[in-house]
Amino acid sequence: MQVTDIRPILSALTRNRAGAILVALQIAITLAIIVNAIYLTQQRVSKVGRPSGIDDQNIFSFTVEGFEKDFDFVNMVREDMALLRQMPGVIDAAPIHQVPLSGSGSSSGYYSLPDKKGKDSPAAYYRTDEHGVTALGTKLSEGTTFDPSTVEWKAKEEQGQPPSAIVSAGFAEALFPGEKNLVGKNFYDAQSKPIRIVGVIEHMHGSWVGWDKVDRLMLIPRVSEYTRYIVRTQPGELDRVMKETESALRKRDPNRVVGKLQKMSDDRQRSYSGDMMLAFTLTVVTGLVVIFSSLGIFGLATFNVNNRTRQIGTRRAVGARKIDIVQYFLAENWVVTTIGVLLGCGLALAAGYWLSTQYQLPRLDLYYLVGGVLGLWALGQLAAWQPALRAAKVSPAMATRNI
Amino acid sequence: MFPYYLRLALASFRRNPGLTALMVFAIALGISVCMITLTSYRAAAHNPAGERGKILFAASIDSWDPDEPYDDENKALAPTLLTYNDAKALYASNIPDRKVMMYKGGGILSRGDKGMEPEYVSTRMTNADFFPMFDVPFLYGGPWDAKADAGPDPVMILSKETNQKAFGGENSVGRTVRWQDREFRVIGVLDEWTPAPKYFDVSNGSFNDNEGAYVPVAWGPILEMGSHGNTNCWKTESINSFQDFMNSECVWLADWFEIRSAEKQRAFREFLDSYVTEQKARGRFPRPLNNYLYDVDGWLERNKVVDDDNKAMLLLAFAFLAVCLVNTVGLLLAKFLNAAPTAGVRRALGASRMDIFWQHLTESGIVALAGGIVGGLLGWIGVWAMRAWYARFLDNPLNFIPFDAMNFVIVVAIAVLAGIVAGLYPAWRIGRAAPASYLKVQ
Repeated sequence: MQVTDIRPILSALTRNRAGAILVALQIAITLAIIVNAIYLTQQRVSKVGRPSGIDDQNIFSFTVEGFEKDFDFVNMVREDMALLRQMPGVIDAAPIHQVPLSGSGSSSGYYSLPDKKGKDSPAAYYRTDEHGVTALGTKLSEGTTFDPSTVEWKAKEEQGQPPSAIVSAGFAEALFPGEKNLVGKNFYDAQSKPIRIVGVIEHMHGSWVGWDKVDRLMLIPRVSEYTRYIVRTQPGELDRVMKETESALRKRDPNRVVGKLQKMSDDRQRSYSGDMMLAFTLTVVTGLVVIFSSLGIFGLATFNVNNRTRQIGTRRAVGARKIDIVQYFLAENWVVTTIGVLLGCGLALAAGYWLSTQYQLPRLDLYYLVGGVLGLWALGQLAAWQPALRAAKVSPAMATRNI
Repeated sequence: MFPYYLRLALASFRRNPGLTALMVFAIALGISVCMITLTSYRAAAHNPAGERGKILFAASIDSWDPDEPYDDENKALAPTLLTYNDAKALYASNIPDRKVMMYKGGGILSRGDKGMEPEYVSTRMTNADFFPMFDVPFLYGGPWDAKADAGPDPVMILSKETNQKAFGGENSVGRTVRWQDREFRVIGVLDEWTPAPKYFDVSNGSFNDNEGAYVPVAWGPILEMGSHGNTNCWKTESINSFQDFMNSECVWLADWFEIRSAEKQRAFREFLDSYVTEQKARGRFPRPLNNYLYDVDGWLERNKVVDDDNKAMLLLAFAFLAVCLVNTVGLLLAKFLNAAPTAGVRRALGASRMDIFWQHLTESGIVALAGGIVGGLLGWIGVWAMRAWYARFLDNPLNFIPFDAMNFVIVVAIAVLAGIVAGLYPAWRIGRAAPASYLKVQ
């Protein structure tokens, strides 16, 4: 485009200042919204979709509590487990005192050296037995599950840590960065008690999906009061096994309370529901805002074309080609879009900065801004295309007519 | 003049039904998104205690780790829960008009005569003052008294839902139930009661259901029952018995106080400071003096009941509404300028600029009202869909996303106001147009 083309465009724009300013303003707000919204959505979507390292689609959990004065807790769990593990469709079952992805859990701080020295990291911990690893469907990258003889069975909850643990790779990496062959290594609790690593879980998420250290956790070989049960089934067998479980357990011993059976996939969805809702709302709003902006641009271009049929006819009569007319309107639109986009960059950065300080959201990535600017330029040209073509169809004879 | 302007507006709508529909639709979509986000925002920002929220206080004192603050982001904040000994010491103060010390417990509830399926019920361990302080409604019977607190007497208050399960909903006052392997006498049954957010205890989720039963808190040590909600510890201590646990630095209880006069509130703040200073002399409370007495609003803010996502979504919704409105201003301007010759004729026949201005403002007001109502209804559908989605895995989406008629009124008011603001410029512009130029061309 020649530089001289811009001047008539600018002078024409000043005639319908209000319309052009409105569209530019609309484009500016649109850019601020979509850039930030797409950035946030993208982050939430990847958070929701990330793998937990657990076979979470095929697991359910529940509580079992005795209420008679002298019920035998250890025996109850052992017999329930024997029953559950032999049910058809069940891969494995285990007692575990908290359920990963559920939002409730326990955690504590640990150290790579005694006396609170060396590296330190918090980790969620799960009291379970030697079946915990298979019942969760996690993969060990190193070592083995617990030796059954090391699992501590206690009727009452006790303080202190058993002397061995299966740790997640994320937790191991925090304590021993870069090290391999972790099996046999010791780490320490706050009382400097050594805990030996017997296995490393390749990847697993703990209880709190909003925690930035969600992949730092360990399984510890202890089963004590107030445990939950988790059951992992063959794919497709979850509903059937769930239906049969409650009655099977009741039949074995009616004198206890079997809590509500909870699918882990539901726990997972509940834990991520806020993220999913935000991502969904942002996507819908982004879509709508793009549609409205296109309508605005289209509206302005149409209005301008209608108002200037005589002028267009005159230009055509004095020799302008159709392509010149199309170019003229596209260029005019480009000027308006550019003003809006420039304004919008400032607005988008301000909004992004404000969001990042006020709400601890991450700072806006500039690639998104560049993408948004290019996208809106394209959108502007596309929306003005039809009115520009219509303008080109104005006959040169219009120059001689009254409207 | 107003009815005449209305007639003119309707005639104008009939001239460009598509454009009018587009404007109504633009406002409606903007408003519906606002209504949906406003609903969850207002539900979270709601203070269920109302006016009484100003005289109810939660105490928070910094008993935490000398090396690490309780809250990394704001180091001056104290834990939201109290240790057993601190909770007891603050509760002992005579300054407040009413006071409670409480935590969330639970146990298997059954009937000696096997009249119900035994079931786990979460149980609030609390004091007699809890019921008048938090305006708890009773269906049958009433709260226990201070004597039952001191005993403690084996008395229990059931929620309406628990009473339904245990006694089929009949008046169960005077009956006995088994709980934690002991006999408890039912002395009251609550009516429907779901303050949302659950402001007196937000530690396990701000919109969680209330407990199914209420028992004097003094039963806690006797039954050796720890918290079934949250327990947070920082200190390396050897805990071998429940007694050790009660004497530990673990926090798991909450104290609330009703303090009506400003003078007493000041006195109680001083009491908090002097208590902590005195404990410091004994080697406890290693951190700076971070004592807080939160009223209900302050407490909800401290606990971030309105979370960052809520605020971000509300901001986004209003930015979207702004786009819709700018769009509407553009459309109105185009529409009015299109009809400028008509306005020119009216001006030539003697209508003043103000007349033209009001006529067009009426027109935009009607568009906005229609957009607001349609948007409100769309928003209602959206809220309904959102609840249906949450209902798949939440027990009480109604607490979380209520149907609140007030929200509808608010958004329609916003729409009308916004529509009038949007109409101001186009109406002024058309009113300013010189009649002669239009008459000439025609």
